[in-house]
Amino acid sequence: MAYSEKVIDHYNNPRNMGSFKKEEDGVGTGIVGAPECGDVMKLQIKVENDTIVDAKFKTFGCGSAIASSSLATEWLKGKTVDQAGQIKNTEIVQELNLPPVKIHCSVLAEDAIKAALNDYKKKADTEGETAEAATPA
Amino acid sequence: MSEHTHQPESGRARELPMARSMCWHCQSEMTGEYFCGRCVKVQPLSKELDYFTCLNLPRKLNLDEQALEETFYALSRSFHPDYYATKDEGEKAISLGNTALLNTAYRTLKDPVQRAEYLIRLEAGSAKDIRNSPPADLFDEILELQEDLDEFRSLSAGESDERRQELLEKLQADRRTLEARKAQMEDRLREQFSRWDALPTEAEGEATVRSQKDAVLAGMQEILSNRTYVKNIVNDLVAATSPTAEPGRSAWH
Repeated sequence: MAYSEKVIDHYNNPRNMGSFKKEEDGVGTGIVGAPECGDVMKLQIKVENDTIVDAKFKTFGCGSAIASSSLATEWLKGKTVDQAGQIKNTEIVQELNLPPVKIHCSVLAEDAIKAALNDYKKKADTEGETAEAATPA
Repeated sequence: MSEHTHQPESGRARELPMARSMCWHCQSEMTGEYFCGRCVKVQPLSKELDYFTCLNLPRKLNLDEQALEETFYALSRSFHPDYYATKDEGEKAISLGNTALLNTAYRTLKDPVQRAEYLIRLEAGSAKDIRNSPPADLFDEILELQEDLDEFRSLSAGESDERRQELLEKLQADRRTLEARKAQMEDRLREQFSRWDALPTEAEGEATVRSQKDAVLAGMQEILSNRTYVKNIVNDLVAATSPTAEPGRSAWH
């Protein structure tokens, strides 16, 4: 089984690799793992006015997991929080041509997005400020 | 053959070892062995055959390794494609298929971790049915270690030698700690093996037994998941800090 060209491209040139400070305003952090293979993925979003202005990831795992999270950060940028919640793992599978044995990598990326969004919402609720100022354009 | 017999749980359909109940060749009734009693032709193993039944072992986790080996070798001899070289295509295909299934069954049951993972799949339908809460602390720890590893890999020998040495010592210490933790997890896994084996195979008080079984399976699943995370980071630490380590991460695994 070979990796698709898109997976190899994301693996060799990962987009948005890195991290934000967890405590920073408007930052949501999702850390998830795949118990089957032991991959660990951290995905972070930075939200301003209900829109994701930046996203970063760090993934320790196979090429497909890295590519899935790299692609996810690309897709997240510019989306509203609600739109981001609509991203489905099947779209990642399609875009990257993931084989059946690597579908769990895309599930991991979807879980990471959800976890980051939840973390952002939870922070916004408790801190108040960031969420209240948000008025979708 | 060993004296072990697989005890089917009552209330569940007995899994038939053979793909069909009739000999594919002479159509006579099969009695459940691997060869037809009448025409002595080899019979195909059912794809649904579970590995424990295939190797004539009870569904236990502390298994009799000698019995496993003996059954494996005996069946290997019965099915080996070399003995079917002069037989017709049908028999050749059956010999090949049975050998493949037998090899997978043996490999899976021989390794304790794979054995436990297989049992969980078998008993819980799918390991995914048992979802443990993600180990958040472990993830944080792993991410921190990976940061250190990244920094260590980025420092080439020759420059920043002091920081490099400092990191190397820290990472080697981390590696020892994690290896010890992995060993502890394996001890805990073995404890669960004994708990599983102590549960009745007969369906005495079906519901209670089932819930006890599920509890052990869930416990094992949790240890296995956490062990996988720890194993990965240990491998990364070993790869980066061994004297012969190539710079950079071993990519595809």
